[in-house]
Amino acid sequence: MELILNLLAAPGSNVVVTLLLSTLAYSSPLILGALAGLFSERSGVVNIGLEGKMLAAACATAFVGQASANPLIGLVAGIVTATIFSILHWVLTQVYKIDHIISGMGINAIALGGTSLIAKTYLDISEKEMPTFPVAIYYIAAWVAAVTVWYLLKTTRPGLRLFAVGNNPDKSRQMGLKPLVIRFQALLATGLLTGLAGALIATNAGKFSEDMTSGRGYIALAALILGGWKPWPTLAAAVAFGFFGSLQLILQGQNSSIPGQFWQALPYLITLVALAGMVGKNRAPAGLGQP
Amino acid sequence: MKFLGWKQIVLAIAGFTLIILALIVAKAIPAEALRQVIEKALTKPSGWRNILQESTPLILLGCSVFLALKVGLFNIGADGQFVIGACAAVVVALNVPGPIAIPLSILAGILGGALWAYPVGLIKAYRGGHEVITTIMLNNIAAFFTFYLVSGPIKDPTSQQPSTASISTAAELPNLYEKLPFKLNSSILFAIVCVIGLWWYLKKTVGGYEISATGENTNVARFAGINVNRIIVRTMSASGAIAGLAGALQVLAFEHRFYGNFSPGYGFDALGVALLASSNPLGILASGLLFGTISESTSVLSRTGVPKGLSYILLGVLVIVFAAYRYRKEAQSGTDS
Repeated sequence: MELILNLLAAPGSNVVVTLLLSTLAYSSPLILGALAGLFSERSGVVNIGLEGKMLAAACATAFVGQASANPLIGLVAGIVTATIFSILHWVLTQVYKIDHIISGMGINAIALGGTSLIAKTYLDISEKEMPTFPVAIYYIAAWVAAVTVWYLLKTTRPGLRLFAVGNNPDKSRQMGLKPLVIRFQALLATGLLTGLAGALIATNAGKFSEDMTSGRGYIALAALILGGWKPWPTLAAAVAFGFFGSLQLILQGQNSSIPGQFWQALPYLITLVALAGMVGKNRAPAGLGQP
Repeated sequence: MKFLGWKQIVLAIAGFTLIILALIVAKAIPAEALRQVIEKALTKPSGWRNILQESTPLILLGCSVFLALKVGLFNIGADGQFVIGACAAVVVALNVPGPIAIPLSILAGILGGALWAYPVGLIKAYRGGHEVITTIMLNNIAAFFTFYLVSGPIKDPTSQQPSTASISTAAELPNLYEKLPFKLNSSILFAIVCVIGLWWYLKKTVGGYEISATGENTNVARFAGINVNRIIVRTMSASGAIAGLAGALQVLAFEHRFYGNFSPGYGFDALGVALLASSNPLGILASGLLFGTISESTSVLSRTGVPKGLSYILLGVLVIVFAAYRYRKEAQSGTDS
């Protein structure tokens, strides 16, 4: 983020290049988050807990990284934390059969409260320098993940099983598949990807601050819905949202007549209009939320 | 105790452990924390003043979410409707002189909230778009929109913060009882009337029955000749209207102005209040008070150095554990979903 802001400020810098670079920076956490949601929701588990998992991962990456002065340990801690939350979601929705939305909201609340508790109690650790991997690695990971997810879901056996379980859990049960096991695997993937997304957000900022994901988990969810739960359109939606985000950053400095809040609200508005415009066409996985 | 399975007990113990763990992480001694809460929040008039003040919006928002749940919708958007209601009420209260401003502002709040929920019902009924998604979108749009308003068009020019001017004393809702440090604002009457009204409407009227029938099984309700789509749009708008009323009262009774990031995340609390009330609307009073007590308790603790984040953990655990009991109960009585 620092790097990009400097680029923007540099005199004579090419606007197109900076716009592309900042789009890359803005969209990468959204891509990772949206793909995480894709795994979960394609297997039939509604996941509005992306925000909480990303936040928890950002917190763990920053604090463990700062405490250990090792970027790898930080990143692993972030991924493990997000995965624990993801498994908790599996336990609550699949074993306890709690409504998926309640479980997701509960996880978001616990993550928000827990990270705020840690951030306010351990101020001494957060003042240390956070060791980080170069952000480029995360950007590459996001795009590699997108291609991998597409390949996995379209052509491989586990991918097709994931589709089957998400579309009709009862029928796939009769075919000998185990929805519980497949959903567990899907939620592990969700944990890994939200962990990466959270780590990237913390890396971009260089430290953890309260509620630092600021709704990006929800924007990732919006990208997933706008993309009709399909890998390529979801990727396109996440990149588009990232583009609007970086456009806002550039326009903010130029005293435009359109307020900055408009650009911030734009992804939400677009999703709302798209939902209103889809005439009787529900493209969600048919088995979403079913036991 | 048929619904007390071992799985539920394990979850309750895990939840309790998490809360103790959170206190330890925050470097507090759990027993000492409990003593502080009892001493400073539960046994003091000022503590009860705050509890009742916190409970008022929670009870109203609980009603809002409860009503939507009855028709089978998760109104995650109570937060956005609350904010829009509050903003609309302030605009009216600032521009209308005298005590007539009170009813007009309340009306503006109700209309604002209903208007903000109306598209949610429409998209759900006629386009099949999930209400959780649309309400999350509308919450964020409401937050950005009102933040824009208070940092520009309706900003108090003398204020450093993004905030409106304060409403006149004539437009403030009076206190029912005042003997400092204890005071009780008349807005709690609205909350109580709303709960009783909701109970009466849902249990005793045809309209209420139509809502429950639609919520329990859309197809059966449709065959019975109920216009399901219209019920969904109407109930969602009514749910928004109650949330808007909560926003208006929050301004007229307590805050007396509107500012950026107005809601401290009431949306989630409201869902918890409604879920804890289970199937009886009158339970909202008790669960609203409980959530108000939790909020005040964690405020007291935050003054002793335990961050306010603890309240989110408490609420999250409470909602999850209670939902686990509730869904087991429902599974045993043979109804799904």
